[in-house]
Amino acid sequence: MSLSLVDKTKNFFIEIGDLSYFAGRFFKEVLKPPFEFKELLRQCYHMGNRSLVLVSVTGFIIGLVLTLQSRPTLIEFGAVSWMPNMVGISIVRELGPVITALICAGRIASGIGAELGSMRVTEQIDAMEVSGTNPFKYLVVTRILATTLMLPLLVIIGDAIALYGSALVENLKGDVSFQLYFNKVFDALEYGDLIPATTKSFFFGFTIGLVGCYKGYYCKKGTAGVGVAANTAVVFASMLLFFVDFVAVFVSDIFYEL
Amino acid sequence: MNDNHILQMKQSTGFQDSMPQENVVIYIKDLHKSFGDNHVLSGFNMKLTRGENLVVMGKSGSGKSVMIKCLVGLMEADSGYIEVMGKEVSTLSQETLDILRADIGFLFQGSALYDSMTVRENLEFPLRRHKNKLGNIVDTTPMVMEALENVGLAHAIDLMPSELSGGMKRRVALARTLILKPKVILYDEPTSGLDPITAKEIIGLMRSIQKKYNTSSLIITHDVDCARVISERMILLVDGINYAEGTYEELLKSQDPKVEAFFKK
Amino acid sequence: MAKTTLENLRLGVFVIIGTTLIVLAAYLIGNRQNMFGNTFSISAVFNNVNGLQSGNNVRFSGINVGTVENIEMINDSTIRVNMIIEEKMLKHIRRDAIATIGSDGLVGSMLISITPGLGSESLVVPGDELKTQSRLVTQDMLSTLNITNENAALLTADLLKVTQSLAQGKGILGKLLNDTVMATSLEQTISNLEHASKRTNSMMTKLNKEMGRVNFEESAMGILLADTISGNNIKSILSNFETASKEIEEVTKDINSVMKEIKNGKGAVNYLTTDSTFVNNLDTTIRNIEQGAQSFNENMEALKHNFLTRGYFRKLERRQKKEAEKNQN
Repeated sequence: MSLSLVDKTKNFFIEIGDLSYFAGRFFKEVLKPPFEFKELLRQCYHMGNRSLVLVSVTGFIIGLVLTLQSRPTLIEFGAVSWMPNMVGISIVRELGPVITALICAGRIASGIGAELGSMRVTEQIDAMEVSGTNPFKYLVVTRILATTLMLPLLVIIGDAIALYGSALVENLKGDVSFQLYFNKVFDALEYGDLIPATTKSFFFGFTIGLVGCYKGYYCKKGTAGVGVAANTAVVFASMLLFFVDFVAVFVSDIFYEL
Repeated sequence: MNDNHILQMKQSTGFQDSMPQENVVIYIKDLHKSFGDNHVLSGFNMKLTRGENLVVMGKSGSGKSVMIKCLVGLMEADSGYIEVMGKEVSTLSQETLDILRADIGFLFQGSALYDSMTVRENLEFPLRRHKNKLGNIVDTTPMVMEALENVGLAHAIDLMPSELSGGMKRRVALARTLILKPKVILYDEPTSGLDPITAKEIIGLMRSIQKKYNTSSLIITHDVDCARVISERMILLVDGINYAEGTYEELLKSQDPKVEAFFKK
Repeated sequence: MAKTTLENLRLGVFVIIGTTLIVLAAYLIGNRQNMFGNTFSISAVFNNVNGLQSGNNVRFSGINVGTVENIEMINDSTIRVNMIIEEKMLKHIRRDAIATIGSDGLVGSMLISITPGLGSESLVVPGDELKTQSRLVTQDMLSTLNITNENAALLTADLLKVTQSLAQGKGILGKLLNDTVMATSLEQTISNLEHASKRTNSMMTKLNKEMGRVNFEESAMGILLADTISGNNIKSILSNFETASKEIEEVTKDINSVMKEIKNGKGAVNYLTTDSTFVNNLDTTIRNIEQGAQSFNENMEALKHNFLTRGYFRKLERRQKKEAEKNQN
């Protein structure tokens, strides 16, 4: 099915419009009782704890690799003692949130897309509605809230593990004690690094949940539709994440003139 | 995105004088629904009386499912008048619609069991919002057990839907439909995707349930055998309208080529 | 339901770990900026803060004791920097401590460094204003170095001029070398000496006359001097005087002759060359040079015989012969 460029552009804007409407509906529903608290906890568990191992492993490797790769250059400049500052700031400010978010986009957004997609296709969403439960509230609101709340926690744990990985390299290769390493890291960090990064993580989480739910909830009929929903959820979420990141950096730059 | 359509159903005052009688459970008049250029329903009329088993037959894509979804407010019709148990569906608020839905059982085409929940949780799900109807119940186990025993699956209470066969799923779905003790049950293709023997089992269950709880049933199907066994009255849905109406035997004798097409093996 | 409880337990642990980490990070960052704990604030006024920012460290004798709270501009050349200092430092910092703005390494971030004074003043109290000293930042250091460089350039230029003028015989050194002043002062010294010797001469004749008179008079002085022994002594003294004055006369003559030589000769350098040691030295030097030249010649001779360079020298010889022949012709 080959669409013309005009149609593609039109579809893109339609998609953005629908997504905005979907987000608006989320905000409308999130404040209205009844609250699906138990389901929220369940989703938090599924999105938080179940992603923990993945985020930890990637975080550790990112910290390790970043340090190993920067060492030769920093040594060349005689600035290897600045490693904690460099790694600390780059992980807390940018790498931690973005990489964690991308991993979660791959894991969570596709999961939500597939789950809600199959629920839509097998009429489970209709069944819920007929059972007197608002499926948007029960399925969408809880999932978006769960990703929004869980991602910052995943990010901070990922950051901590990445810094630990970096400190390990410095400790083994550069004889820098863990205490000195973390002293230097926190010397380099400011609230201007931590607060925007944490705030950004909330938006990342929201984006992942929103796109995953949107793609799944409006999944097209048929089993192929589920695959498409899962796939496009990851692609769209990742793309949107970078856009959100750009806006976040832009805004935080205004707030914290650094 | 069907649930977001802003189109309001036209309210014609012409229907007020032809209000249905007391014992009419579902009343549909002049129902229209189209998806783009595809006119699925173009003036469908139907009446379901208390305790009646009505089968609506039509080819796939003839708009049966659309009609049944309009009945419970899952879809909004373009125009027409739908009344369920004396309440006009399209004018109801979300809360009153939910209360009304508690009296309507809906058996979905593919069972539509919640994959992430056990059988017990599946059955408990409709109870979450309808506790008002049932009074304040703390322990839902007796209700779950009763519903499961009705379909003969009490042993499967802690299984996941993925561990069940197609027939078992359909029975669990039926149990879930029954748990709120609805006054009317809508069956959407109850035998689709099942082998003939399992289909017969399900049909048997449907009949026994109807006797036990004295419910009205609206059965949507394209399965002639199913229609023959269960129907008291049949409506043939062709080209978006109720093309023919009558008992199974009456329709079988019909000379109309479109009606005959249904009963050709 | 046991499964749900376990899930919730795990979720709880996860949430608590995450929140603790966020709070811990926030606390540690805040701690670095002395947001918690007992602190007091003091200030210092600078005319240039060299890019200091709020949050930068404050060090007392090299220990991190606080941070810069804020920087306010009072007027175009006065900037007040408020600092938050740990309270336990209150009993170490005295009023004569000096605050300077420095940097953490050549390219490090800016910081305020407080150096203790003599320790005679009383301890600071919160709200005090510390004395400051504009510091040498790297840039200042570089600009000073630059000035030094320029000066060095000027100096060498001057030196060049001096040596040039020396060569041309201008300036004090030039004059020294070319004698004028030196010669005049030498002349003066010599004339002084002449004068002195003349006066000694006249004094001697006066004394002689006096002595003659003393011999003939019968006075206390005469009696005293008539004593032969003492008379002889005095005579010997006088003769000593005479010889001394004669010697002075001779020295003066010598000097005069030197001076004449200088005047006739070619200045102080010339005089220097009359000094025998110098001449000797020169002699040996010249001899050494001669010796050097001789050994060089020997070397050259050896080279001539070397098979590698033989050809070249032969060619050279031939050419010289040819030239000699041409000249003869």
